[in-house]
This record gives sequence, C-alpha cells and structure tokens, in this order.
Amino acid sequence: MDKSPYISDDEIFLRMNLTERIQHFVLIITFFTLIVTGLPLFFYEFKFFRWLIPSGRVFLIRGLLHRGAAVLMIANLIWHLLYTAFSPRGRNNFKEMLPRWKDFRDAFEQLMYNLGFTRFLARRGMGKGFFDRHPYWLFTRPPLYGRYNFIEKFEYWSLGWGSFIMILTGFFMWNVELSLRLFPLWVHDIFVIIHGYEAILAFLAIIIWHMYNVHFNPENFPMSRVWLDGKISGRELRLLHPLEYQKIAEERRCRAERLLNSPASQQGLKGEA
Amino acid sequence: MKLRLKSILIYCLSFIFVALLALPSLAQTEEDCLTCHDEALRKNIEGSIHGAAGLSCLDCHQDLRGVKEFPHAEKLEPARCESCHSDLLPEWQKSIHSRTASLGFGPVRCFDCHGGHEVKPKTDPDSKVYPLNLPQTCERCHLGQVTTPRGQDFIRQYQGSIHFRALEKAGLTISANCSHCHGSHDILSIEDPASKTSRRQIIHTCGQCHVGIERDYLEGVHGKDYVKGIKDVPVCIDCHQEHNILSPLDTRSSVYATRIAGVCSRCHDDQAIARQYGLLTARYKTYAETYHGTASRYGDIRVANCASCHGYHDIRPSSDPKSSIHPANIPQTCGRCHPGASRRFAEGKVHLMPDQVEIPKYRVSYLVKTIYIALIVVIISAFLLFIAADLGRRLLGGQRHG
Repeated sequence: MDKSPYISDDEIFLRMNLTERIQHFVLIITFFTLIVTGLPLFFYEFKFFRWLIPSGRVFLIRGLLHRGAAVLMIANLIWHLLYTAFSPRGRNNFKEMLPRWKDFRDAFEQLMYNLGFTRFLARRGMGKGFFDRHPYWLFTRPPLYGRYNFIEKFEYWSLGWGSFIMILTGFFMWNVELSLRLFPLWVHDIFVIIHGYEAILAFLAIIIWHMYNVHFNPENFPMSRVWLDGKISGRELRLLHPLEYQKIAEERRCRAERLLNSPASQQGLKGEA
Repeated sequence: MKLRLKSILIYCLSFIFVALLALPSLAQTEEDCLTCHDEALRKNIEGSIHGAAGLSCLDCHQDLRGVKEFPHAEKLEPARCESCHSDLLPEWQKSIHSRTASLGFGPVRCFDCHGGHEVKPKTDPDSKVYPLNLPQTCERCHLGQVTTPRGQDFIRQYQGSIHFRALEKAGLTISANCSHCHGSHDILSIEDPASKTSRRQIIHTCGQCHVGIERDYLEGVHGKDYVKGIKDVPVCIDCHQEHNILSPLDTRSSVYATRIAGVCSRCHDDQAIARQYGLLTARYKTYAETYHGTASRYGDIRVANCASCHGYHDIRPSSDPKSSIHPANIPQTCGRCHPGASRRFAEGKVHLMPDQVEIPKYRVSYLVKTIYIALIVVIISAFLLFIAADLGRRLLGGQRHG
C-alpha cells in the first residue's frame, strides 16, 4: 500500500476506545477465571488440579467463582450488545465485522501466499503457460485487509457463538432441576458434554490462535499494545489494515477538496488576498 | 489363784507348741500359708470373687494337699479351675488359646486373662475382663510376644476405631471389644469357618449389636447372595474394614462420602468378578465422569456418591420395585437432593458407557462428543497449519509484506 499524503506514519489512531478496552479486559478476566475454575471438572485426573483444589471447601469456592465469573461475563456481553446497538462507533464496528465472501477468499489467499507453493513451481519453470495466463495463482502479494481481517472476524464470531452455547448449556447446568423438568436426562447429559468440549475448543483457540496473532506473531512480538492503550500508528494501519488506511485517506482527501472548493474557503482565500 | 492361772497358761502354750509341731500333718488354713506369704496376697484373695465365696488356698492349689515338707516346691502346678468351672473347659479346649504349641509357647490359661489370686467377676470394673479393661488384657500378649499373620499393627488399629473410642472416651461398655467379635473362651482362628470372625459368621457377629443393619443387609442383593453362600459377596468388614472401623462421618473412614466409590469399585470395576457374576464394569469411571463423581473426587461431600442413590446395607437391583433406583422411585431418590425432581430424571443413563447404550437416543450424547472432538481436531489443525505457514514465510522466506 502506498503512503498517502493525508496520513503521516506517526499519526495515532484509536483502534480500541476505552469502552472496548474495558470490555476486552473484563472478558480476559472472566474467561480465564472460567477456564481455571472449569477445566478441573473436565480434567479431573490431572495432579495439578488436585493440587489446585485440595479440599471440598475449595471446590465449593471454585463453583461460586465459576458462576460469579459467568454472571460478570454475561453482563459484559450485554453491555457490549447495547454498545454495539446504540453507539455510532459500535454500529460501525459491527458493520465492519460482518463476514463477507472476501474473508473466505482472504483466508485462502493468505495461506497460499504464506505457503508460496505456486511461486516455487513457477520458479522451477513449471506451469509457465498457466501462470502467465493466470498470475493470480502465483499469490505474489498478500490479500489487503480492512478494519478487521478474517482472523479477527473469525475470533469475534467464534466468541459470539461460543458465548451463546456456553450460556445456554451453563444455564441448564446451573439450574439442573429446571433442566430436568423440561428435558430428559440424556438431553441434559448433552448439555454437560457440549459445555465441556466447547470450553476446550475456546481455550485452545485463545491459547493457540489468539495468542499467536496478537503476541507471538513476529509482526507483533512480544505483543500488540492495542489492548492496553488502544492506539495504532499510521504506519501500522497502512501495513496491517491497508483498506481502512485507504478509506481514511480517501475521506480526508475528499474533505480537503470539499474544503478547498467550498464558498467559505473561497471567501477566506479572497479575504486573505 | 495366781498359781492356777500360771499353770493354765503353761498348759495352753505347750498345747500350741505341740500343735505347731504337728502342723504339717494337719489340714492347712490360710493362716498357715500366711506365715510365709505376705499380707498383700491375702488382701488380693480377700478382694477376689473366690475369697468372697470362701475358697481356701488348697481349693485351687490342689497339689499342695497332703504336702508335709515346707517350704513347698518353688513352682506349683497351675490352678485347676475346671474342677469348679467344668462347663467352660470344653469351650477352652476347642479354642486357639489351648492350641498354641505350634506357635512356640504354652497354652493360654484362665489366669492369663482373668488374673490369678485377685480374680474378679466380669461385672466388676476392676476385673481384667471387664469390657473397659479387656482390650488392654488381650493387648498384653497381642501387642507383645504374639504375632498374627496380619501383624501387630493390624491389632493396634483397634485403638483408633470407633468401637474403642466409645469404650475409652464414653465408657460405653456395650461397644464392641475383642470378645464381642472374637468370642471369649471359645475364641477361634479367623481361618476356622466356625470362628465368629470368619466370612460366614461375621454378619451374625456384627448383627449381635447392629440388629437392624443385619436385617437390612440380608434383604439386600449382597445379603441374598451371602445366604446362597457366594464367597465373593461383600460382608461387613469388606466395606467397613475390621479393627480400624470408623464412623462413616470420619474423613478417614473407608465409607466416608468421598471414599466410598473406591470401596464399591473394588468389586464393581473388577473384570474377573464382573465376568463371573454378570455385573457391569466401569462403574467408577462412568461415575467419575459425571459432576457427582468429579466433585466427590475433589472432596465435595454434598454430591451423590454410590450410597446416595443405591443405598448401602439393603442395596437392591433396579429391577426390584423396592429399589431406590427402580425407575418408579428415581424421582424420589433424586428428589432428596434435587427438590421437585421429575420422572425425567429416569429418562437416561447415569453410568453411561459407549459400548452398552442399548437405547438409540442415549447414543446421541456419544455422537455429540465425537462430533466435538472431530471439530476440535479440525479447527486446531487449521490454526496450526495457518500458524506454521505464517511463521515459515516470516522466518524462512525472509520476505516481509508491505
């Protein structure tokens, strides 16, 4: 992406505002509380968890913490939904977050670009005719991302779907008498199974996928600071979110032109003259 | 007058002198014995039941009868209690205490337990066989020179048991001491089928005091098999242990809420026993997988353990209409912890095993589990592939985009 004269590389943009950062922070706290207090039930044979929960009393506290964190997480989610629905910035974020066909293509192109297999073939002189006719399949450049790339969208919607599953099944596990008034035992068993495996999936996704993308990826290592101060530089915007960069640059260019051509600015120019 | 008195005195003294000379040939009295034996012995005998009954030394020391040479032999023959207590002799002769030769010492005799000269009735708090004192009496040998196959620690365990605690702390004389379970005069080796502590007899032995529990046990599935003579069926001691028997509320008890599953699964997770008697296995594993089992493993005592649902002494199969896990009774059984439990509690398996889900709908949960595992594998593999490709390009390709 070429540099735009309208955006300096040193300019600071607010990628996550305070509300979003607090929501993210509450999510971190509640998520890991839920993981730490929940995984022992799944991996009950692990010595570490026996050490973590040495007695029935601690186990009782575990349950209270788990449900407390769940309530807090749900409250956070409701706050996020209200924020998304009623604030202009939230609504805009939501629009940007909507999955599009481009995201699937991006994922494919990014992978092919990273693998570089077709470039390797072309260098070896294989399929020359095909690559000459269809240079797309060489994947010489990575896809261009907007405000949210396919990775971030996948994480966001996974979190949304996962929260829905966990809240639904967790609610019935919390209210087992109600659950068994509505459903037979074998259905309740399925709730328990889903709650456990969905948790494992979420935990692995965060540990592997999210941690790589925001911490261990050489691009960000040791970590992206967006979640702390919410700031992103013009340069980072240009490199990581080129389409957003382009969009902002375009807006500024239009505004500047409008300003130049508007009667007010004409008058100002006249006055100056 | 004075002279006459004097002559009477001389006469008397000479009579006593002659009598004393003739003493050995005459029947001895306690007074005679006391010329040599001290006052303490006399007090002992006077305080004993034999003293109260007016028995003299020679009634027990029959080998002294007719002895003329004094002092008599250093070692006398053991007292022959059976000359009066003849009814107890056959009992003792059958007992292991009369047949100790193979163990390398002489038989255990009456006075070893009851005491010698000071012997008291068993109702006397000072008696060596009074309930509160008996353990100490038995332990004199069984924590000392005698070793049994199970070792002395096994015997010492009794001191930690609820039976001994009741005896020692509360002075509850009806609490089980050695003789309640092992018998007294007729004490037999545990290997002897007639022994009160043999597997065949132990139910009735414990039932002497725990009458209601014996009745419940005999009505349950274990008791019914016990009556049939099946040797693998659990009896009292298999679940409750023996000398170290503790209250179920004691955290160290084998039947404490969080430990009982370990006891039941000794048989109910045993492949050999399961095959022989057609039992289901993996009872523990399938319990541990549930919330009840997991919480219990972490020490939560509020959750259901084996006994909460199946009962304990009168455990019945689910086919029995009186069983707590009969489908009709499940709402009531679960309802003890889950108020308002409906019949829906019965619509499903608690111990769910992948290979014995006879009703198709129960397989759904396994299907869900399989789908989730596949989903996790696929998604995480995709993540790892992306990460590997990304890292590979950045670190090996040396080509940074942008």
